[in-house]
Amino acid sequence: MLSLIAAAAPNVDAGKAIALALGIGLGALGAGVGIGNIFGSMIQAVARQPELRGELQGIQWLGFALTEAVVFYGLIGGLLAYVLI
Amino acid sequence: MRRYVAALSLPALALFLPETAWAKGQFHPEKEFAQHDWVPIHLGSLNLSITKAVAYLLLGAVVTILAGLFFMRGRTLTRRGTTGELIYDIAQTQVAEQGLPSKAIGRWFPYVATLMLFIFVVNLLGFIPLPLSDEKWHGIPTFGIYAATSSLSVTLSLALLTFIFTHVEGIRYNGPVRYFKSWIPEVPKAILPLIVPLEVLGQFMRLISLSVRLFANMLAGHMLILTFVGLIFVLENVAVAVIAVPAATAFYLFEVVIVVGIQAFIFAALSAIYIGSAIEPEH
Repeated sequence: MLSLIAAAAPNVDAGKAIALALGIGLGALGAGVGIGNIFGSMIQAVARQPELRGELQGIQWLGFALTEAVVFYGLIGGLLAYVLI
Repeated sequence: MRRYVAALSLPALALFLPETAWAKGQFHPEKEFAQHDWVPIHLGSLNLSITKAVAYLLLGAVVTILAGLFFMRGRTLTRRGTTGELIYDIAQTQVAEQGLPSKAIGRWFPYVATLMLFIFVVNLLGFIPLPLSDEKWHGIPTFGIYAATSSLSVTLSLALLTFIFTHVEGIRYNGPVRYFKSWIPEVPKAILPLIVPLEVLGQFMRLISLSVRLFANMLAGHMLILTFVGLIFVLENVAVAVIAVPAATAFYLFEVVIVVGIQAFIFAALSAIYIGSAIEPEH
């Protein structure tokens, strides 16, 4: 693979691949922390007050989806770099 | 510590494999998402052709209507009736009542409930293999998975509907002056020139985040499944299937069980919240 990278050095494709990988990778890093936080807090909240589970569940999924979307902004950024350059 | 080093050095060894070990087959997952005119309809420069996405949307609309008729006609205490009530209950308590003020529920409940059902059905149709694809095998269209919501045009137009309804309702309930004044938060006058552009930009960011969330979720979900199955063809080795097929199945199940429902719910809930916050701005 090192020989492949060396052969592709003047090629833009390598840069595009890195852009895509960094876009989705760094996006996933942040969202992973965020989603973990949300579910962790949810477990704590339900452990303390189990009767609130139903009310909290809606907010939990809302927060999950809002956080998860952050990955895809990274992905879209990577795709834009891939398509435009 | 030693265990981590060992685990990390294994993939690193792959870097020193000879070039021939990385021989590649042809694999273009993005072709699955290309749109070809099946029934060309051109109005001037406007292209209204029936493409793959339009076919899926039409199918989705028909299935949504049929599902609505089927589940809402069920007698109470039968399985059909209970399912219908469950869907209605989620749409009312989890979506509409979360966001909409009580005076607007009568008018806007149908919209958000339809949005939820429709996006759910279109998302779900995307994970059922259907013979609606551009490729043919001995004259028979091949089965493929494609969701209309993995096209930005579809989600953007859905988000645009919510965007327009939000501002129309805001102006209708509050009058134009009071409504646009409600955008401006209570801050010292000196920093207003900084805050107001941000608030106006925020209104348009809603449009982008609402559409990109759904679009990118569905696109990435399909892409993941395609890529895992495609690995077999990229590496040209059937043995890869031992890992690739279970991984693709796991992602498929994750998408169908969690993502499809959550995204439909989120889109409808956020639409309700946006419309509700325009009708009753800042208490």
